[in-house]
Amino acid sequence: MAQSGEVVVVGGGVSGLACAQALRAAGRPVVVLERARGVGGRCATRRLGEQPLDHGVAFLHGRDPSFLAALREVAATRIDGWPRVIEGTGRPCQPEAFAAGSWRLAFAEGLTAFPKHLARGVEVRLQAEVTALSEDGPALGVSLQDGAPLRAGRVVLALACEQARALLATLGPAPPEVRSAIALLDMARSDPCLALLATYGAGAPRPAWDVAYPEGSRVLQIASHDSAKRAGAPPLALVLQAHPGWSRQHLEDPAWPQALLAEAARLLGPWAGAPVAFEPHRWRLARVDGSAELAGPLLLTLPGGARLGLCGDRFAPGGGVEAAWQSGRRLAQRLLEEP
Amino acid sequence: MNTVPPSPGPVPALDPLRQLVRRDQDHECDGFGAARVCVRVVAVAELPTRFGRFRIVAFWNNRDGKEHVAMVHGDVVGAAAVPVRLHSECLTGDVMGSLRCDCRDQLVEGLAEIQRHERGVLLYLRQEGRGIGLVNKIRAYTLQEQGLDTVEANLALGFRDDERDYAVAAHMLHSLEVHSVRLITNNPEKMRQLTQHRVEVVDRIPHVIPPNEHNRFYLETKGRRSGHLLDFSDGPRLAEQSDPPLVDGMPAPGQTPAP
Repeated sequence: MAQSGEVVVVGGGVSGLACAQALRAAGRPVVVLERARGVGGRCATRRLGEQPLDHGVAFLHGRDPSFLAALREVAATRIDGWPRVIEGTGRPCQPEAFAAGSWRLAFAEGLTAFPKHLARGVEVRLQAEVTALSEDGPALGVSLQDGAPLRAGRVVLALACEQARALLATLGPAPPEVRSAIALLDMARSDPCLALLATYGAGAPRPAWDVAYPEGSRVLQIASHDSAKRAGAPPLALVLQAHPGWSRQHLEDPAWPQALLAEAARLLGPWAGAPVAFEPHRWRLARVDGSAELAGPLLLTLPGGARLGLCGDRFAPGGGVEAAWQSGRRLAQRLLEEP
Repeated sequence: MNTVPPSPGPVPALDPLRQLVRRDQDHECDGFGAARVCVRVVAVAELPTRFGRFRIVAFWNNRDGKEHVAMVHGDVVGAAAVPVRLHSECLTGDVMGSLRCDCRDQLVEGLAEIQRHERGVLLYLRQEGRGIGLVNKIRAYTLQEQGLDTVEANLALGFRDDERDYAVAAHMLHSLEVHSVRLITNNPEKMRQLTQHRVEVVDRIPHVIPPNEHNRFYLETKGRRSGHLLDFSDGPRLAEQSDPPLVDGMPAPGQTPAP
């Protein structure tokens, strides 16, 4: 049984954590349920040996002064302006990252420094997978894969659209607000992204670029010179990320890491195809297309009076981590403004 | 009138609007609103229209690629109490003549109203679908065809007042050196927000659209209802402009009895 007035946030990515942090700062009890073993979602860092690698988002960018202020509060080594050197004329995931007025940055400790910062002081339950929602009088029941269900008057789904859609479907016959939200969610799908974390031997040349967007490839969209963000002189490490269309075609193809390395060798040089170690990662729901962005988060009222919020990178103009953060904050504001 | 540097001989003084282009070449300020938007006047030309002669003034801004423009009638640089209308771009309404909204009626009447005065400005803000874009606006129409036009869906699709409209509009008015405005609007919120951005609003001119066969339904309904209007003959219409429409002969919003 949850505390009175408690908000249950499903999803511990940037959006859910931004929402939870703003609620907590206003004195509202809140708990975040995260399926994975750590927070951050696609703002992710993994270790290969000692070395952190950002295998989701390659760098942070934004223009909203309050978002930039939030990034400045992070207690980590900020690398302002990263990526400083861009190679290639291929299409970035978010071209507006390089438009005038946009700020870019990374953290030497890895980009999870940002979601970890947002999670400070917030009650987060890790490895807590939500399987269903149910209307329970003026509250919502939240069923978990393991453990006792929770019950709260306000539940926030800070998930990819497909995941939020699947949970909405567990509510049973949908009232108009929910049907409308489902119709909105159905209007766009998330793109997958196949990503490879690769480390290279001492013989590999150091690329002059921080990020490469190769032109003329339908396979490799971005090569991020990840080790260029790290302190000291770590071994060369790249994060290779595939185009959405190619990723979708090869999601279940066990040979995709080799194919992606072969394309890296073709585009960047033979050395790029011969790492000393690599780790594949499949992002099934990596990002939303720019045309799918909405103006703001949703806050649905169910017939019994419970309210269900939806936020995430699709629920603010611009997309990306900035939009995720903004939508979470805006949803928290709307929850706090409730009479 | 703005003071113009004396010209040596018979060469006419440089048009004050064109001087703004030179003035703004290196303009950079702290910006307006939460997004700190800053604009520059970048081009001015004569634009004869079927509503009368205007000059069109093009703006650059530091936030996005949207090319906002001002339709200027008469001498407005340095003037006070200038009639001003804010209009948000609506491709389907303004250009295609869509009957899902009343944008074209509002635009045409805005331009015509300005021509009735000695001077005036219509700011044409390139914020299609209230800033969320054409694709999402068309998606909103799809939702409506399915009978789903709840308040939340319209909010998520951008159909509501957007503070950023006023920030960029306010900066544009400051750039034009319009000292104070008579706002052509039925929306007191718009006046309040312009004032917040240090635009002096000295008066309001009601924005009244003449009745025609396409907006007749306004006269039969009680006005604005939860972000959209119901047209009982043709289905729902979205309020794409931030002003509640007022058709000649229709009681003003707020003066109508609750439905």
